[in-house]
Amino acid sequence: MNLTGMLHGARLLDFVGFPAAEVLGPGASEDQIRQMIERHGSVFVKPVFKGGVGKKGKSGLIGRASDLKHALAEKERLYFVEHRHGNQVAKANGVTFEAAVPAEHEIYFSLSVSTHFRAPTMTLTHKGGMDIEEVDEAHIARIPFDALTGLKAFVVANALTDIGAPPEIISPLVQQLPKLWELYHDFGMTALELNPIRMRPDRRGKLTPVACDFKCGFDRDDARWHRLNLPDHLFTADTSDFEQEINQLRTHQGQSDVYVINERGTILAPTFGGGANSLVTEMLGDDAIISSDFGGNPPYEKMKSVAAICFKHWLAQSNVLFVIGGKSNNTDIFETFRAMADALREHFSKHGPSPLFVVIGRGGPNLVRGMGVFRDTCEALGLPYRIFGFDSAMSEVIDYARRINDWMKAGGRDEIAARLGAAPALAA
Amino acid sequence: MHKQGYGDFKYFVGISSLAQIATREDRVCVLNILGGESSEVTPVGHAWSGGNVVFGTSPGRSGQTLDTPAGPIPVYNSVREGLDDGHRFNCGVVYLPPGAARDGVAELIRVNPELTKIFIITEKISVHDAREIRAMAQQAGVDVFGANCLGVADSWNQVRIGGALGGDNPGDTLKRGSIAILSNSGGFTTTIAQYLRMAGWGTTTLVSSGKDVYIHYAAPEFAFALANDSRSKAAVLYAEPGGYYELDADFTKPVVACVVGRWKAKLTRAVGHAGAMAGGDDDAEAKERWFMEKFGVEGLYTPDNPVFSARGAVVTNIAHIPAALTAVMRANATLPDFEPEGSMDLKPWFGSNMGVALPEAIDLPVVDAIEPYRGQIRGLDRQLGTVFPRQSLKDASGASQMDPKTQVSSLHGVSMLQAAQKPLEANLGLALLREPAGANDQALIDVAIAAHVNLHGSAMLVAAEAAREAGNAPNAVLAAAVGIVGPRLLAPAQRFANGLVDALAAAGVRDATDEAFAVERIELGTDLTTDMLGDAPDPLATAMIRGVEARRARSLPLRWLLAQGGYPRADAVLAAIATTIGWGPLGRKRISRLSIQTLPSWLRLMATMLGASVAASAHEADTFCGIGRDTLIAECTLTEIAATALLGRRASADDLFAFRTLTGLLLTNGPGAISAQGAKGAVSADGPETPARVQLNKALLGFLSHTGFAHGGNGFEGVAFLLEQFADAELADPADPAHGLDLPAMAQRFATAYRAEKQRSKETGAPLRNIPCVNHPVFKDKPVNTDPRERFVREQLAARGQYNVFHDFYLALVQALHDEGVTRNVFCVNVDALIATLLLKLTWKSLRAGEIGTAELENAAFTAFLYGRMIGCAAEIDDHMNRGRNMDTRTPQSQVRFVA
Repeated sequence: MNLTGMLHGARLLDFVGFPAAEVLGPGASEDQIRQMIERHGSVFVKPVFKGGVGKKGKSGLIGRASDLKHALAEKERLYFVEHRHGNQVAKANGVTFEAAVPAEHEIYFSLSVSTHFRAPTMTLTHKGGMDIEEVDEAHIARIPFDALTGLKAFVVANALTDIGAPPEIISPLVQQLPKLWELYHDFGMTALELNPIRMRPDRRGKLTPVACDFKCGFDRDDARWHRLNLPDHLFTADTSDFEQEINQLRTHQGQSDVYVINERGTILAPTFGGGANSLVTEMLGDDAIISSDFGGNPPYEKMKSVAAICFKHWLAQSNVLFVIGGKSNNTDIFETFRAMADALREHFSKHGPSPLFVVIGRGGPNLVRGMGVFRDTCEALGLPYRIFGFDSAMSEVIDYARRINDWMKAGGRDEIAARLGAAPALAA
Repeated sequence: MHKQGYGDFKYFVGISSLAQIATREDRVCVLNILGGESSEVTPVGHAWSGGNVVFGTSPGRSGQTLDTPAGPIPVYNSVREGLDDGHRFNCGVVYLPPGAARDGVAELIRVNPELTKIFIITEKISVHDAREIRAMAQQAGVDVFGANCLGVADSWNQVRIGGALGGDNPGDTLKRGSIAILSNSGGFTTTIAQYLRMAGWGTTTLVSSGKDVYIHYAAPEFAFALANDSRSKAAVLYAEPGGYYELDADFTKPVVACVVGRWKAKLTRAVGHAGAMAGGDDDAEAKERWFMEKFGVEGLYTPDNPVFSARGAVVTNIAHIPAALTAVMRANATLPDFEPEGSMDLKPWFGSNMGVALPEAIDLPVVDAIEPYRGQIRGLDRQLGTVFPRQSLKDASGASQMDPKTQVSSLHGVSMLQAAQKPLEANLGLALLREPAGANDQALIDVAIAAHVNLHGSAMLVAAEAAREAGNAPNAVLAAAVGIVGPRLLAPAQRFANGLVDALAAAGVRDATDEAFAVERIELGTDLTTDMLGDAPDPLATAMIRGVEARRARSLPLRWLLAQGGYPRADAVLAAIATTIGWGPLGRKRISRLSIQTLPSWLRLMATMLGASVAASAHEADTFCGIGRDTLIAECTLTEIAATALLGRRASADDLFAFRTLTGLLLTNGPGAISAQGAKGAVSADGPETPARVQLNKALLGFLSHTGFAHGGNGFEGVAFLLEQFADAELADPADPAHGLDLPAMAQRFATAYRAEKQRSKETGAPLRNIPCVNHPVFKDKPVNTDPRERFVREQLAARGQYNVFHDFYLALVQALHDEGVTRNVFCVNVDALIATLLLKLTWKSLRAGEIGTAELENAAFTAFLYGRMIGCAAEIDDHMNRGRNMDTRTPQSQVRFVA
């Protein structure tokens, strides 16, 4: 849940009265662009990506133009540009025109959580305008502060003094930067980064910090960001229909976190517990369709809905339904297994049989009753199965699911399909 | 801004040794103790820890208690109230919802100066609240564990605080030993302890740290406390990507670190653990490297390449932890704490290839589970049918539900629209067997009902007739009859059914209609068999047996009964029929043993109610409604019998279709319907947790007393309205499309008159009468509105070429009301109109012929409702008996109000 760029950033900064560079959105008219260039000498043209994508500048994705013709040419180049950074691939949809702010000083400022200090921490340098990793540590202040009192002016003043910041920038930053705490704290952010903040001189030479780029991350467990009334589509970039459907069931009782690993995978693995999720996803690799954590003792109705959605989207292509978790502490195995088994039964009733091998590994309260329900369901549906207790190493069970998957790919699926009278198609 | 604690930390740490984390001296207060998770977990932990919870809070529930094996834990509205009552504690456990957790922490800290530790179980606490929680605790000098954790446990002290480490039987996992555990995963804390135990290692202190962005008790302070804990010789750490906690930890004792989550580098957002997102150089590989440097090793430990030092080893698979630990400890000249208790090899507890040939390498044979699971599995194999978990069923049902969007109710997953297409006998099966009855089962149901519908010479009939003569409505008439069919009358058939179930199970019967199964293999005790037979032929039993034969229905239990020689009693035949019907659903775990056992009673009760709805004059020694007993039992379906009972004549095929549509739609309206509430309340009051004490007939009285002219008789309002509209119409046959009536003109006349009436009522303030059966709170606001249930039935009838002039009139009426400006859009014709129009069509001829009057018609409308709903309510009663708790429909005092 990240947001980058000044298109929305400027509006957010305006909430707390922090000066920001003038910005025009994708719908700006030629007149507006021309007038902006006239006022500021030049404009930056930046592609608009959903979510957070970094290193745009380094990838040549920031254009600068000092006349309308060039500005429009940059608009054409960047409007639908594709950007790859790490594992993320993003496609732009629009550009912004941002007023150039001539300045001698560029500041880097961020607020985030430091696990080192275990407190909210400000990172500040007067050598900004570049990646923070490239700045000499001697010029960087990382200062934790009290969450209850927030970022205070003296914290900023001391930090700037400690890193030897030029005296003329200290006062304006001390006045303006603490405002950003309100934005960070009151609107559910986990991180806020302004880089650069340019120190714009007025006619008398007095400096004003002007934010020229904006990045922030929102905490999806914090409803405060809803106060900003940001359009929903900003955060839908990296969620599939399936994930969105599951996410609608997100409540505090019972996890319902999913991530699509491989849309063409063949093992559907509803997983219980954050630890199991890590191990399972790591070991299954691309065989897994989804990475999930459905632990936290979900009630029957929720578990059944989650399972039904999983089955609706993925069962047809699955070779193995792999239900896996460690020895649960409080997740009721009977309730969760009954819910999944009922969802499976109903899915078969509605969509007809699907060739499937069921592998289960689990421990926890009401274990045998839960396993019994799944066994009965498999028997009723004609599905082969193996159910392991917690005395089989989880990694061995995961490996077994993989071996079953290999066998299914090598003809097992067709055999089961023939017995069920189902079409073997769809799976890899 | 923090108190000075132990060690050289940048923050407060109040624990110097792991031995102090969970002690027998700790006293605990649990916030939201009666919440779903806490109420399950706290009693187990409390009992295992020698009763360490002094009280809990739950606003508005002061005075209640949480029952535990170690005695009840008192509940107060707030922490202050508990302290004022003399309780003292040093540990707070937070089970509050995420939005309330921070305030709970503030309450604990501000109100109780003796507080030293807080354990936060709550998941999904915002980072905003987490940092404020930390700041408050740091200022007050309080250690926080979590959040999003499962608390802590100590195998030496036999104490667990907050959360559920060790599950529902902590002693099974937490065995005293020498290894401490710190885990980002609550589930893995227990799983790792289990793995260690199998390899001969016990545990000291187990800390589930959680994996939120803020981990309040993390690796650095754990390492510090480990060093000072003389009991702990080594530790196991389970760590996931994200955060620099482990980098800052300084270990002085051997450690096996398990780092999992390399793949998470691919993720763009967290799945599961909110904090398990690497920001930069804190991903899984970085963490593996940190630990390798700490331990002075060059690679990961795997069974094939065991890399370790005396300081530790790094693994990426929790299954490798025990072997790595044993290797590291051997390098420290230390042997396991006890003999290994098992292996971690693959051991399927259940399995089947379902006829598919698997390659040998993956064709793992099922093995015996470890105890106590082996015993439980054996018990499961012996168990017949399903066992539903008990829960409060106030305003809830496992039988029926209503889809709030479509307003279509369903019974056991079958919508009323589907049920309306099935005969009553199939729907009775649906209600009691949780799946519609198939052809063979329907035939057996028909026999059972037909055999018991004639109440000639019975006390039930006398009571019903007396009630009818006293002017009672149909529900009270049925109640008078059914009230007599008490447990003693129902007991013999239930006992026989019970015995048959045991015998069929012992004989390994899979299909109770199997014609080839040798009846000699079925063995019942001599006493029971003797009781099932009489000294002389029982005419009712004989008629039932003939009926089954005539319908060519199959029943293995009946075949067995007939093979015993002698004269079967009617109750024995009824039990044989019931066990045949119930055996399939029982085997498929659709129903419980309790349900199959009570099935004969249900068949009898349904038949009694049906019989009692007909005047005594229609019950004669050998005929019912003029149909001879043998014909009735051998030929008539339940639908035909009920239609005859309602109409007083044999119904045509079209009438039967209309009748089953009508009753099918009426089966249920979800657990919120008054009738269902009455039935459920009656079960709840008897105490379903002791099912033998639930009186089925009394539960039906609950249903019947919760119906009435408003709920059940409202179809008649529509009938009365239609009678008014058609009073002067020359209508011979409502099924004839060539009726010659100008329906739009009739509708227009009414709409014009109604508009004038509306105008007058506006001027005078007098109440305006409602037009029954139009409009609906959900299906409104479109230019033209339709109730999908009405449309469905209309289309069904049209497909059969069946016409209904009254239905057609209603459609014309809603259009006319709009055209006349009475309604702002075209209202829907709602589902009640179906009841009215179908019923009036069925009775129109008798009415016009003067055979019945409007009073009879009103009774008929009500009775039709009772026919459908008694089946739906039987399902509710059976479901509540199977799943509900004693007195669970009671409304708490806090939710009731006094009205002056």
